[in-house]
Amino acid sequence: MASAASKLYADDVSLLMVLLDTNPFFWSSSNLPFSKFLPHVLAFLNSILLLNQLNQVVVIATGYNSCSYIYDSSSDSNQGSDHGRIMPARCSNLLQKLEEFVIKDEQLFKEGSREGISSSLLSGSLSMALCFDEQIYRGFFDQGHFILNLAVTMHAMQILCLQGSSDGPEQYVAIMNSIFSAQRSMVPIDSCYMGSSNSAFLQQASYITGGVYLKPQQPNGLFQYLSTVFATDLHSRAFLQLPKSLGVDFRASCFCHKKTIDMGYICSVCLSIFCKHHKKCSTCGVLKLLSVLYALCFGWVRRITT
Amino acid sequence: MPQVRIIAKNFMDMVAALPAMKLDKLYENAFICEAILRSLPPLAKKYVLQLLCIEVPVTAKSMEEWVLPDGVSKHRVAIDRLIQLRIFTETVDRKRETTYTLNPIFQTNLKKLLVHGVVLPREPMPSNITVRLPSLEDLQAFALEQWECFLLQLINSSQSERPSNISSSMMKTFQRGLLSQRDREAPRLTDSGFQFLLMDTNAQLWYIIREYISNSEERGLDSADLISFLLELSFHVTGEAYNINTLNERQKNIIKDLADLGLIKLQQGRKDSWFIPTELATNLSVSLTDSSSRKQGFVVVETNFRLYAYSTSKLHCEILRLFSRVEYQLPNLIVGAITKESLYSAFENGITGEQIISFLQQNAHPRVAERVPSVPENVTDQIRLWETDLNRVEMTPAYYYDEFPTRELLEGASDFARGYNALLWEDVNSKKTRLVVKAENHVHMREYLGRQRQ
Amino acid sequence: MNNGEQRRLNGEAEEDEDDDDANNGGLAAWERAYADERSWESLQEDESGLLQPIDNQSLKHAQYRRRLRAASTARIQKGLIRYLFIVIDLSKAAAEMDFRPSRMGVVAKHVEAFIREFFYQNPLSQVGLVTVKDGVAHCLTDLGGSPESHVKALMGKLECSGDSSLQNALDLVHGYLNQIPSYGHREVLILYSALSTCDPGDIMETIQKCKKSKIRCSVIGLSAEIFICKHLCQETGGLYYIALDEAHLKELILEHAPPPPAIAEFAIANLIKMGFPQRAAEGSVAICSCHKEAKVGAGYTCPRCKARVCELPTECRICGLTLISSPHLARSYHHLFPIVPFDEVPLSLLIDQQNKFPRACFGCQQNLLGPGNKPGLRVACPKCKQHFCLECDIYIHESLHNCPGCESTRHSRIPNINEG
Repeated sequence: MASAASKLYADDVSLLMVLLDTNPFFWSSSNLPFSKFLPHVLAFLNSILLLNQLNQVVVIATGYNSCSYIYDSSSDSNQGSDHGRIMPARCSNLLQKLEEFVIKDEQLFKEGSREGISSSLLSGSLSMALCFDEQIYRGFFDQGHFILNLAVTMHAMQILCLQGSSDGPEQYVAIMNSIFSAQRSMVPIDSCYMGSSNSAFLQQASYITGGVYLKPQQPNGLFQYLSTVFATDLHSRAFLQLPKSLGVDFRASCFCHKKTIDMGYICSVCLSIFCKHHKKCSTCGVLKLLSVLYALCFGWVRRITT
Repeated sequence: MPQVRIIAKNFMDMVAALPAMKLDKLYENAFICEAILRSLPPLAKKYVLQLLCIEVPVTAKSMEEWVLPDGVSKHRVAIDRLIQLRIFTETVDRKRETTYTLNPIFQTNLKKLLVHGVVLPREPMPSNITVRLPSLEDLQAFALEQWECFLLQLINSSQSERPSNISSSMMKTFQRGLLSQRDREAPRLTDSGFQFLLMDTNAQLWYIIREYISNSEERGLDSADLISFLLELSFHVTGEAYNINTLNERQKNIIKDLADLGLIKLQQGRKDSWFIPTELATNLSVSLTDSSSRKQGFVVVETNFRLYAYSTSKLHCEILRLFSRVEYQLPNLIVGAITKESLYSAFENGITGEQIISFLQQNAHPRVAERVPSVPENVTDQIRLWETDLNRVEMTPAYYYDEFPTRELLEGASDFARGYNALLWEDVNSKKTRLVVKAENHVHMREYLGRQRQ
Repeated sequence: MNNGEQRRLNGEAEEDEDDDDANNGGLAAWERAYADERSWESLQEDESGLLQPIDNQSLKHAQYRRRLRAASTARIQKGLIRYLFIVIDLSKAAAEMDFRPSRMGVVAKHVEAFIREFFYQNPLSQVGLVTVKDGVAHCLTDLGGSPESHVKALMGKLECSGDSSLQNALDLVHGYLNQIPSYGHREVLILYSALSTCDPGDIMETIQKCKKSKIRCSVIGLSAEIFICKHLCQETGGLYYIALDEAHLKELILEHAPPPPAIAEFAIANLIKMGFPQRAAEGSVAICSCHKEAKVGAGYTCPRCKARVCELPTECRICGLTLISSPHLARSYHHLFPIVPFDEVPLSLLIDQQNKFPRACFGCQQNLLGPGNKPGLRVACPKCKQHFCLECDIYIHESLHNCPGCESTRHSRIPNINEG
């Protein structure tokens, strides 16, 4: 699997989309509580905005029942007047929106009223971030800048996932779709994973899109990790030593025994994977109709990823 | 733009040129720190951020480990720049190891910025005062108009419709180098003046501000003060009104000058006066390479040398007049033609063909900007051809020989010169015998003629 | 400019034989550029006499939606494992200059784009290239999975001469496609410039042969409709279209990139043996079987014969095992679980209940209100009821294949969440 080809970035102006995991089930059990985690992130956002006047930061909250845009630095200046000073406004704006989001997210959960959900809706926030990037990209081209001079500032877009909760297997297809779309638009997905074990989704995402995957060893020094690794603009990445991915295991697991396999049999119609040869694909045998396939897909997709 | 002889230097180069004492004083202002940080090369920014929370000196060796082999030269540039601006202090300890420390004042200021975020230099007008503020579009239009008016006045003082308040002495300083005035004649634009007009707004602004700063001492202003005020100004929010009473006397004077340039709009309230920074002011701290403020193009050039400019601006019309024949003007359309005559007059004024071409390319209308090339090739080629037409005379140092005693000797000599590929001209037909040969072959010629005479 | 001048020089020579150009044959090259583009028609004058370009975005979007709807109705099962031969007609008709710079040049350019797109969308499939010139079909590249080698071979062989022969091309392709395993979908895409075919035997027999072998033949013509092509496509279940201009040609070619609906009897569902090779350790040295040279690190080892290959997906050169990685499979999943087309929100509803609807696009946060705060065009996902702008609609369906709205709700368990 080749990594995304690197684009040439003439300038260090960047548009950073931060996907912030707000899953309460994770943060309540984490070594680094959310209240301590947030100041690191805020300082990091500040430092990005400090580096270049044209930098833009957008924050999307990844909840466990919904996702939402909670902050966009480009709309800052309009709201500054109420609070007098921009920065406290920036913080309070973000925090206020975040709080509203978390409360609403929880209400949605009560409606569903089920056991604790350990995964967040990463696929949703990734999809939203990509739509946003696409819109910025389009806006750039619409202005007819691109032929004039390639050195004209083009926002180098990057996505940073600050994720803690574990992967939700039912999101596998959606997340893979997002990853491929990001790869196509050459948007690197960086990931900083705060959870205890590694996230297979984020490892794949960063590897395929040419981003950086990092699991901080000492969560208390998070800001230093963030500013050292993730504040690097895409232009400078060509010159700096960054954490290398140790290679991702792209072997698949079979549907029948969930074993990781070197060689297997794949159904030509539905692409199910089996470790032994059967006369007929058992998945297809059941799933004749699309509607049935839809209903059951989440069951077998989960099996791919485990 | 290629070949711009006027170098609109960066603000930061000016800052870096300040003496150490003044620099250290500048860093006490948090805005200066921010502006300086933003002006650094990307790698240098990165280093500053990385060292921000590290209190102990970092060895040069460990910093070199951060970069890949490809980036060593960039690394050097970044470190040099940081030392030059006195952000890094370099110390060599007893073990001959070089270490760097971040300037402590700079460090504390940046740390504050990170925790508290960017604080505005001063409170904007409280929202309970109900004064109608101009909208952002109005403000932009105002800035543009003011700037164009200034430029128009700069080119031709009589042409400006609205006299601006810029004092004639100030105007003189700006015009210095751009206009030349022989006694009693109307002032004429110099070569650099014409080039100045073809630059983009940001570059022009830099040029003017640089003149303004370098002349500040004459007006009894400290240049460091002026620089720090201008930088501070760039951190105000575009379109917000600020109370003018928060400024000191000297700053109030500066504000007035800047208002004439369109950097600031002054507004008289019932009790207090307010100043509203425009985009021109807030873009000051952005380095020159950022062309994101580039305006939309407006010129369409066709293969038949006709030129359509969608613009209502008088200045655009004037600029186009520099190198084309403007034929008619509609409300938002200027139609002209690029002709040999119009170009010749441009060349006479010292504008180069490349400058015209790059002006046309940079200001290409979005519709044609999508095409490659945005200006038809035959037009650009023709502009270059006409330009080289003017440079037909070639100077070659030469020697002139005459009064050859015999025709044979002349023919022999010219054949000999031809052998060296040095014959430039001979006059065979007339009775006078004349010959011109390249100077570098004079020695051979003299030897040859000497031999022949024997 | 060079092209323009060349065209003008050739203009006189062409005129007699050039049927397509008959209507504007008398024009000089620069005049023709205006006649074709009609640039003045895209200008409008407003009340104050200022000239404004016309916005034709909504027109484009309507076109796109029509295409999307057509595609979604036919959505059943898809043939994901395809074996496609692209036949390029390089007879002397391909030198015609009604496409600029020539038919051949334009075809090559778009075939290159198509090959890349094809492999992006069908990572498990293979392509081969066949050219026809001087009445002879010639196999440029065998079936293979590497876009680079195809493109390179194509660009190196761009000369045209002689007549075209449909039968020879079909016979050649039939020979190759007949050997492939039964689970694969056999397809031929013919880019036909000529108006005739010069065949050695009865082409009807060849067409029947193709039909029997379940080879789906599609033709894109560059000149005019020909009966035999139409017949071929009808018999074998392919598509036949004529390209009107370059943009249309591109669209027609790219239409073949997404997998076609699978017809049950065309390919038999089967289990295929495939290998999932592991990435070789960094720094290990091995001779790769594809380039036959020693390489350090970065490679994959075939699990069956332990040969080294450089990139995936591919077929092991030594033992013939198909080697892929799990993301390649994942890339095809969106064909299996397509997202439903979004519904356009009717304007009347928007005007009535403007305040109840979200103001910004759920995907990109762009304001959905048109100029002057009038309700503009917008679409809504029938499942999650979120509203999207037209650009996101296209992006979501053509590249992302996720609905951001559906993905950010726990939709699969809690049906019909109605907020508020």
